[in-house]
Amino acid sequence: MSVSIAKQGHTTGGSLVHDEVIYQETRDMRLLGFVLFLISDVVLFSAFIFAYLYLRNTVTPVWPPMLDGKQLPRLDVAFACVNSCVLFGSGVTMHYAMESWKHAKKTAFNGWILSTIVLGALFLCGQGYEYTHAKIGGWSGSIFGASFFTLTGMHGFHVFVGVIYLLVLWWQANKGVYDQTHYFGLTAGTLYWHFVDVIWVALFFLFYLF
Amino acid sequence: MEALGGTERVFSGIVAVVIGVFALIALKNDWKTTGLDNNVTKLLLGLMAFGCVLVLVASFGLLPVGGGT
Repeated sequence: MSVSIAKQGHTTGGSLVHDEVIYQETRDMRLLGFVLFLISDVVLFSAFIFAYLYLRNTVTPVWPPMLDGKQLPRLDVAFACVNSCVLFGSGVTMHYAMESWKHAKKTAFNGWILSTIVLGALFLCGQGYEYTHAKIGGWSGSIFGASFFTLTGMHGFHVFVGVIYLLVLWWQANKGVYDQTHYFGLTAGTLYWHFVDVIWVALFFLFYLF
Repeated sequence: MEALGGTERVFSGIVAVVIGVFALIALKNDWKTTGLDNNVTKLLLGLMAFGCVLVLVASFGLLPVGGGT
C-alpha cells in the first residue's frame, strides 16, 4: 500500500509528494528502531538490577551489608528525593518543549529545552555530590557499593549522553533542521529523556526505598 | 544535618506534587493521541507520575522500610 503510494507520487512527477511519502515511511521505521533501542536498554538495566537483587538476597544475611565488622549506613533518602525531583522536573520540561515545537512556539521551545538541559546537568552534579558523600565502601568495597555505583553510573552516563543529545537537538532546531511537520529527532530526544527518567524511578526505589 | 534533611524532604514533597500534577495533565492532554511515539510517551509519563508518588511517599517517610529511616 505505502509502496504504491510512493510510486504514484513519483510517477505523477510530484517529487515533493514523493519525498514526503518516503519521509513518512522511513520515519515509522526509524521510530520503531529507536523504540527497540530503548527496549534493549531496558534489558541491559534489567540484567544488572536482577544481579543486584540476587546478590542482595543470597550473599549477605543483613542489608545494608557488613564491612569491617560494621553495618554500612543506608543512602541519604532526603537528598535523593531532591535529586529525583530535579530529574522528573526535567522530564516535564522536555515534554512541554516538544509540545511547544508542535504548536510552533519557538521561543517557548528554547526555554523549555534549555531548562531540561540545565536540570539534567544539575542532576549529574547531584549524583557527583552523592558519590563523594556515600559511605558505602566504594565501588570495590562491598556488594552494596558495587551495585550502586555500577547501576547509577550507567544511568548517569545515559543522562550525560542525553544532555549532549539535547544540546545537539537544540542547536539543530535553531539551525532550521526541523520544521513543524518533520521533527523526528525531537521526538526521539523526548522519548529518550522520558526513558532516562523512568529508569531512575526503578533505581530510586531499589537503592533508597527498598 | 537532620534539620537539613527535614527541609529537603518538605521541599521534595511539594515539588513532587507539582511535577506529578504537570505529568498527569500532560498525560490527560495526550490521552487520545495515537501512534507508537505517543503511546510510548504516555506510558513513560505515567511511570514518571508514579515516580513522583514514590518521592512524595519517601519525603514524608511513609514507607516501612528504607524511606522511613
